[in-house]
Amino acid sequence: MQALTAGRAVASSWGATLYAAVIARDPDKRPGVPAAPPRIGPRVPGDPKVIEAIRMALARGGADKIVVALTDTAIIPLWSALGTAWQGVLDRLRPRLVMFGADAPSAAELGPRTGARIGARLFLRARGVGGEEVELRDRDGSYVRMSDSGAAVVLVGAAPRAAVHSDDDIDVMVLELPGGVDPRIELASTAPAELAHTTGTIIAIGDAAAADPDVVKATQRLAKVLGAHVVGSEQAASCGVVGAGAVLERGAPLAPELCVAIGLPSIDLAGSTSLVRIGTAGGKGVDGALTGPIAASLGELARLLEDR
Amino acid sequence: MTAPETKLVVAVWLGSAPPVRSIRWLDGALKAAAKFTGATAVAAGEQTWLDLAADRAVRLGLGCVGVPTELVLDYLGWAQVMAGVARRLAATTILVDEASRPERFAEVAALAELTDAAQLTHVVALAPDAAMIHASRAAGTTLQTVRIHGPAVIGVRIPGPPIDEYPTPTPSATMRRLELAALGLDPAVLGHRALPPRASPPASRSVDRVADHLAVHGAPRKGG
Repeated sequence: MQALTAGRAVASSWGATLYAAVIARDPDKRPGVPAAPPRIGPRVPGDPKVIEAIRMALARGGADKIVVALTDTAIIPLWSALGTAWQGVLDRLRPRLVMFGADAPSAAELGPRTGARIGARLFLRARGVGGEEVELRDRDGSYVRMSDSGAAVVLVGAAPRAAVHSDDDIDVMVLELPGGVDPRIELASTAPAELAHTTGTIIAIGDAAAADPDVVKATQRLAKVLGAHVVGSEQAASCGVVGAGAVLERGAPLAPELCVAIGLPSIDLAGSTSLVRIGTAGGKGVDGALTGPIAASLGELARLLEDR
Repeated sequence: MTAPETKLVVAVWLGSAPPVRSIRWLDGALKAAAKFTGATAVAAGEQTWLDLAADRAVRLGLGCVGVPTELVLDYLGWAQVMAGVARRLAATTILVDEASRPERFAEVAALAELTDAAQLTHVVALAPDAAMIHASRAAGTTLQTVRIHGPAVIGVRIPGPPIDEYPTPTPSATMRRLELAALGLDPAVLGHRALPPRASPPASRSVDRVADHLAVHGAPRKGG
């Protein structure tokens, strides 16, 4: 919904039409399944109540129109599974700006490939800024503006809180697209990921910081607002801040999207896409650092994020 | 329908600049590539980076190709460079070191698009099995086990052994240099994919700015 919120702001500012695109599996289209009785026009398969709830959510999120691409392929967040259906959406709409929620399960696979396919500039973790003329800007300062030429693909990291839209009566366009799973990628199985492989947000806490009850409390509050796992050593776990399964060996390497390092955790955080340090001065490749009292810094961060 | 199985010729794209924080993930990508006989490491950019890439590759017994250039390109520009090298090497499988620099993961998709290969990002383990590759992919809180058949571009996030210090690399005698022209690329045309020069953003030092940063990189807020 972050992409939708940011998209609404951009579309209103630019005078553009905002399409919310959804890929849905139509079981009637499965190979080997007898053809369903003829129906008048395409319809969205599935539980009508669920479909209506999704339609309402997208409408209230600010979509002008909804495009549903029907595919016979299982919905797996891989380009090999969804690429053909998604291409059908792109061919139909020929969009100038394509936005994904940066944390959406399919964003990593579909976002950059979409950009490559349409020759677009790509923006990672961008946010909408500006009042009358909204632009999307990433942390490097690169931006997408209405006056730009060429297409852009944006993975949206944050959007301002937006009012609920009252227009629930919006068009739904259904595209029945030929299947087309890429046979070169074969999904054999899925299982819960170990914490060491997580790609989300991690808070890594050092032993000394974990011994301070105020820091523990503030860490848990920040973890809640960020939806993060707290990891640390066995000693940190003995302080109650690190849950079962989140104890990592000294020097264990992590490569999450975001890591907040509190104090001096004994974990190798160099693989983090973004690294923020609390209670230490930072160093090479650090995106943010707060050197003041740890508990106060964490508490203030949590408060600011809760208020957004 | 099954994809045709062909002999694997593997190249590993190390990118256009050295790792941001540690060479551990660079070593991990090279180690993963070393599981494939005859794999070649490829880097582009300035000479000091090419020397480092060649040095780490040679330590693991890999051949190395360097493309010297001062251009600073976007994901599609660098993908054109690597795709040119892949064609020269007749590579069927390209591994990409995703973890060493955050902007590189987008090059997986761009390379797959340019080489008409399958793509798979966020791979945390892989193992060759004749003409097939078994891979484990991190997808949020799940781990997908995937079999890869045929040409593919695979973004890897595989750590090497811990390393604190490493010797300063010297110019490599074994690195094969390929100029852009030899890849069929015109630097003037490629320059259309150049990024404007920008200083690295300074680390956020105030609570407000760090909160802004976390809001963009962290999980969606409640109800968002």
